Amino acid sequence: MNEALAISASGLVKRFGERRVVDGIDIAVPRGAVYGVLGPNGAGKTTTLRMLLGIIEPNAGERTLLGYRRPREASDRVGYLPEERGLYPAMKAREAIAFLGALRGLDWRIGRKRADVLLERAGLAHAADSKIRKLSKGMAQLVQLLGSVVHEPELLVLDEPFSGLDPVNQENLERLILAERDRGATILFSTHVMAHAERLCDRLTIIAGGRARFEGTVADARGTLPMRAHYVPHQEGPGIAALLPADAVRQADGWRFTVPEGGAEETLKRLIDAGHGISGLSIERPGLHDAFVRIVGGEEMSA
Amino acid sequence: MSQAPAPSDAPSNARRLLRQTLTIARRDFVATVFTPTFLLFLFAPLIMLSFGAVGGLGAQSVAQGADEKERIVALAPPASIAALRATDERLRSIFPRDEQPPQLLVRPAPPAPALHARALFDTRETDTAAVLYGPFERPQILYGPMGARASRYLAALAEATLRTERSGGPAALSRPTLSPVARTTTSLGGRNASAFFSVFGIFFLTLLLAGQAVGTMAEERSNKVIEVLAAAVPLESVFLGKLLGMFGVAVLFVLFWGTLVSQVGSLAPAGLGAALSQLSPAIGLPTFVTLFFAYFTMSYMLLGAVFLGVGAQASTMREIQMLSLPITIVQVAMFGWAAAGAGQPDSWTAIAAQVFPLSSPYAMAARAAQSPVLWPHLAALAWQALWVAIVITVAARAFRRGVLQSGTAKFRWPWQKAL
Repeated sequence: MNEALAISASGLVKRFGERRVVDGIDIAVPRGAVYGVLGPNGAGKTTTLRMLLGIIEPNAGERTLLGYRRPREASDRVGYLPEERGLYPAMKAREAIAFLGALRGLDWRIGRKRADVLLERAGLAHAADSKIRKLSKGMAQLVQLLGSVVHEPELLVLDEPFSGLDPVNQENLERLILAERDRGATILFSTHVMAHAERLCDRLTIIAGGRARFEGTVADARGTLPMRAHYVPHQEGPGIAALLPADAVRQADGWRFTVPEGGAEETLKRLIDAGHGISGLSIERPGLHDAFVRIVGGEEMSA
Repeated sequence: MSQAPAPSDAPSNARRLLRQTLTIARRDFVATVFTPTFLLFLFAPLIMLSFGAVGGLGAQSVAQGADEKERIVALAPPASIAALRATDERLRSIFPRDEQPPQLLVRPAPPAPALHARALFDTRETDTAAVLYGPFERPQILYGPMGARASRYLAALAEATLRTERSGGPAALSRPTLSPVARTTTSLGGRNASAFFSVFGIFFLTLLLAGQAVGTMAEERSNKVIEVLAAAVPLESVFLGKLLGMFGVAVLFVLFWGTLVSQVGSLAPAGLGAALSQLSPAIGLPTFVTLFFAYFTMSYMLLGAVFLGVGAQASTMREIQMLSLPITIVQVAMFGWAAAGAGQPDSWTAIAAQVFPLSSPYAMAARAAQSPVLWPHLAALAWQALWVAIVITVAARAFRRGVLQSGTAKFRWPWQKAL
C-alpha cells in the first residue's frame, strides 16, 4: 500500500456457499492509470470489483481504496457503473445524473448544471428532460455512465461498460474514458472484449476461475506469445511444407507459422534457395485476443 | 507507509451519513408525491367521507320527515288549555332540540273523548304518538308503537299542569341560582376518552400509512438501482432514508387532512368536535399533542422499519402481497394490547405494552392521557428510537447477507476513527 496506488488488494477471497468465486486475488492499480480486469464470463470480475468497492465484504484478504482500508469511506470520491444497470424509470435524465451525484455528495444544483453539460457533450442534450423509461437501453446506459462521473471522482470503476452499446457509442465511451484519465482520474474497468482493453489499458490483469493468471501491460501480455509469420510464396511447390517449421498451416492466402526461436532468417533462406521466392511476408506479435485465449485456455487446461 | 488522504473524522462521517440518508429520503418523497397516483392516495378519505355523507343525508332526511309529522295530542277541558300550553313550553325547554317530545296539539275535549282519542291514531295526515284525555287527576293516555316515551311525557305534563292549577297560578314557587363550576383536575371520563382516542388515532394513522413501507425496497430490487445505492451509500442509510421519505409522505397526508378538517368543520365526522372537546389528557393538551405526534412518528418508524426489513427480503410482488395480511394482524394485535391497558396505565398489561417496542408508542400515548408525569415519555421515546436503530441495523444486515450475499464489515461506532 502506498501513495502511488489508487487500489491495492492482496489475497482477496469470496465464497458463495461452497464455491470460491474469488480465490486469492492480488491487484495494484497505479494512480492515474487505465487498468483493465479481463476474464471470461463467470471468472469473478464483478465480485472482485464489488469487494474492492466495499459493496460486499471479502471472506479473506485486505484491500485499500484511495488510501482507505474501509473502501466505503472513500465512496464520495469514487464513481461506479455496475454491470447490472439500473436507474429509476420515472426520473428525468438530468435528475437521474444529479441524483447519482448527490449520492456521492455533489450538490443537486451543481449536479443538474453539470448534467446538462455532460448530456450536451454526449450528444444527448435533447434527452435531458426525457424520463429514463422513454430512453433506449443504450441511451439509459450512457446516462448512468454520465451519472457515475458527474461528481468528478478520483477513481472510476466501470463493470463491463461496453456491453450493450453500439459501435459509435463504444467509440464515444472510449473517448470519455480517456478524457477522464486526462482529467487525472484513475480508471478501473472490466471487460471480456479484448479490442477495448488493447486500445485503452495501461496495465491489465487477466482473471480466470477466481484467480489472477496474468498481470502487466498489454505488451507484456502479447509478449507471452512468440512472433507469428505470414508468408506468401512466389512459386508454390509440393516440397514447401517440408521447408517450413512443423506448425506451419496452409491457408487460402498463404502460410502461417510461429517464428522459430532463432528468428525467421534460416527458414526464409531455405525457401529462397529452393526457388519458392517471397511474394508477401509479415512478422508480428499476436494480438491481446490470442494472448488472452492462451493464458485463460492454457491455465484452464492445466487446472 | 503513509495515508495520502486525511482520514475523515467522526463528525464529518456522521454528517455524510445524514446527507446520504436525506438524499435517499428526498428521492423517495419526490418520487411518491409528484405522481398522479399520489392524488388518488391523498383524496382516498374523500371517497370514504362522501359515501358516509350521502348515507347520512339519506337517513337524516327520512328520519326528519317522520319526526315532523309525529304529534302528541291532549284532549283537555277548555279551562285548562292555556295552563297546559304554558306548562308544555316550560317542560319542553329542558330537552335538547333533538330529543324533544313530538309537537303537542291541544284540543278541547269532545263529548266522547275515548272514542275520539282512539280514532286519532288512524288519521292519515299525521302520526300520532300518544293521546291524553280525561280529567288531570286520572288522565287516560293511549300510545302507539313509538309513543312509550311520549306517553310518559304526557303523564308528567298532566301532573305539572294540575300542580300549577292547585297552587293558584304559574308563578314559580322556587327561585334557583345556577352557577357553573369547572373541575380543577381532569375527569376520569375525559382521561379515559383521551387515552382511547390517542391509541386509536395512532393506530388508525399507522395502519393507513405504515403499510406502504413494505413494498418500498421492491422498487430498487426490480429496477436494479440497489447496486448503485449500495455502492454509494451504506444500506442503513438507504433503509432509514426510504423510511423517512415515506414518513414525509405520511406527514403530508396528515397535515393536509388535519388542516382541511380543522378549517372546514363540516368535513369532520359528526360528533368529532364534541368528542374532541371532551378530551382532557392528564398531561395537558399542548404537551399531549406534541407527545401524540412524537409517538405517531415512533410508531410509524418502528412498524415501518419492521415492514421495510421484512419486505426487503421478499423477491417478488407476490410475496409482498402475501405479507400484507400478517402485517395488518401484527398492527391490530399491538392496538388491541395497548387499548386493553389504556384504562389502567399502571396495570401489568399496560406496563408490558409500554415496554414492548412495537406496542410502546400506542401504550405510552395512552399513558400521557392518564398520568401527568413527564419523564417516562422521554425514556420511552429514547427506548423506541433505540429500537428503530436496532431494527434498521438488523434489516440492513439481513439484506446484505441474504440479497447481496455479502458478509458484514466489523462493527464500529460512528465516533470511532476511520482506519
